[in-house]
Amino acid sequence: MEEQLKNDFEKSFKNSNFSSKSISLKKEFLNKFIKDGLPNKSLENWKFSDINQIIKKEIGDLSFYNDISTPNKIDSAIYLNGLEQNSIVFINGRAEKIDFQFEEKNKIEILDDFELNNNYSEINSLIDLNSAFVEKSFKILIKENYSLKKPLVIYHYTNKKIKSKNINLRLNFILEKNSSLKLIDVLNDISEKNFINTFYSFKLNQDAILKNYKIDNKNNNNIKYSFTNIEHEKNSLSETFIVSSGSNFNKNEINCNLNGKYASAFINGIFSLNKKKHHEIRTSVNHLTELTKSYQLIKSVLENEARAVYQGKIYVNSEAQKTDGYQLSKAVLLDETTEFNAKPELEIYADDVKCSHGSASGSLNENSIFYLMSRGLNYKEAKELLIKGFLLDVVEKITDSEIKNLIKNIVGLKE
Amino acid sequence: MLKINNLKAKVEEKSILNGFTLNINPGEVHAIMGPNGSGKSTLSNILSGKKGYDVSGEILFENSDLFSLETEERAHKGIFLAFQYPLEIPGVNTSVFLKTSLNAIRKARGEKELDALEFLKLVKQKSKDLKFDEEKLNRQLNVGFSGGEKKKNEILQMSILNPKLSILDETDSGLDIDALKIVANGVNSLRRKNNAFLIITHYQRLLDYIKPDHVHVLMNGKIIKSGGPELALELEKKGYESFS
Ligand SMILES: Nc1ncnc2c1ncn2[C@@H]1O[C@H](COP(=O)(O)OP(=O)(O)OP(=O)(O)O)[C@@H](O)[C@H]1O
Ligand SMILES: [Mg+2]
Repeated sequence: MEEQLKNDFEKSFKNSNFSSKSISLKKEFLNKFIKDGLPNKSLENWKFSDINQIIKKEIGDLSFYNDISTPNKIDSAIYLNGLEQNSIVFINGRAEKIDFQFEEKNKIEILDDFELNNNYSEINSLIDLNSAFVEKSFKILIKENYSLKKPLVIYHYTNKKIKSKNINLRLNFILEKNSSLKLIDVLNDISEKNFINTFYSFKLNQDAILKNYKIDNKNNNNIKYSFTNIEHEKNSLSETFIVSSGSNFNKNEINCNLNGKYASAFINGIFSLNKKKHHEIRTSVNHLTELTKSYQLIKSVLENEARAVYQGKIYVNSEAQKTDGYQLSKAVLLDETTEFNAKPELEIYADDVKCSHGSASGSLNENSIFYLMSRGLNYKEAKELLIKGFLLDVVEKITDSEIKNLIKNIVGLKE
Repeated sequence: MLKINNLKAKVEEKSILNGFTLNINPGEVHAIMGPNGSGKSTLSNILSGKKGYDVSGEILFENSDLFSLETEERAHKGIFLAFQYPLEIPGVNTSVFLKTSLNAIRKARGEKELDALEFLKLVKQKSKDLKFDEEKLNRQLNVGFSGGEKKKNEILQMSILNPKLSILDETDSGLDIDALKIVANGVNSLRRKNNAFLIITHYQRLLDYIKPDHVHVLMNGKIIKSGGPELALELEKKGYESFS
């Protein structure tokens, strides 16, 4: 892999206009990645999802150079229907369109010049890989007191032109004081056997509100990793909702730092997996000052050799008195070939806190199925109704009613 | 309508029903009384098609072999069981469930499914008749319902589905006296020449309101005595002991 990495790396900045400073920094990241390699199960964070093995098995050899010089045509079928939206369309990792048609132009700043820093390098080697190879790093800034009128939908689309490739994406969002953004990530792949590595960072200044809905529901053979970092200043709020279903493998990592009083983070999600899919959500919510709040609810429905992993950590430092932290995961295993791994973790150094966590998994209640069948529903209908019922309360956590309905449609909860 | 002949049922080598025989004709109301653990709920479950029993014997419902029918097919044919312990189904709206159920049955019978408006009209009328709090229709099925409310919900379902054979497994337990009268009225108003009821109860009281044609005493998985309504009174006085 080392030779491939080096060759692809040379190619990647031949046609680009990175500064020499950027290039030398990128080289550092590359060397660090070469040294560490892909994460594997000997690392605590990766013990349930050995991405090194998974890539080896599902893809084999990866290539890392992604030629973004030629534009791709956007198929209008990719757009979410019935939703007025701003949009950014990535096709095979190339930004084809950035459109804030519903917004006041001077309230949003978009920069696509590369800006690297070492801040995240400690997290894992995939961030280094991302830093070394990402072509453009987008920075989107929402001005003070501005709330986007319509959601921003980011389409992550891939087509048949790529195979066995590693695609790296990077977006930084800065929400200035009292601004707000609703962001929907839609994953949609026609391509097969690629490894897509996405890195988002959000800075929420005082009173800012971020709602991020990450939707992976189209069946595909790709391997995905996404890391999201959210910095919360005073009284800011983030709501993250994950629909984890479509890709062959997907690991979503969400890191929230609650730096300012009254900041709060909500992370909810659904795993709906079949056919040997393996997905993970790993969260770490860091309560770093007093009077902050976090809430997490993850529900899984698994069948047919699927595996879901939820590692959720709540960290409360010694200053973070009056922290309110909650975390719960529940899984329904539809057959005996499935597996759900939950690793809830509380690490608390303050004494006046309210924190709880829990996890439960089991099969559907046969008596409930019998009850529904005795009312005329067949086995499949009874099962589906119970599953819908099981998933409903987590979808109900979505605070935006338009997007809630959209997601209800997507996960089949619409009556 | 229903012919049960020499029904035996076992669970994990434990015999629960030991040669149970019963005939129910259209238009009749039968009551079964029997001590705890005598096999009443097991009988109801088997009639509705619950899996997990080792059964032998014969059950014919309108001349078709019940054992060859799935639970939902029995419901389509008009068998209804009001559960002794109705289940709570989180996340499933009561009214949506009722509509799904009714339309599944109508569809299987080749009848037109009801649209939202027609259904609403029907469910409102039936709720009113049974004094079932309409607000509960918008709650999750049986979740947070009181014991009596759950039982009333069973009767509401029965009156909406309008079955041919209704099996009421201790529907009266847990009902207050007013609710008991309402439920009894509900049953009486559904009585027709072409349908039948099998009422399982521990208390003669219910039979003051729903007059049975036949009363049976079940012990150790077998009917040990049958008679008219007077048998219930006798049981009430003497207890099961005197029959064993
Ligand atoms: N699935 C099962 N596994 C083991 N034993 C069972 C099972 N179902 C029923 N039984 C046993 O069979 C016997 C009859 O049970 P059943 O529920 O039919 O009684 P019942 O007459 O309805 O009693 P009650 O008046 O208390 O409702 C009981 O001893 C019960 O413990
Ligand atoms: Mg019983």
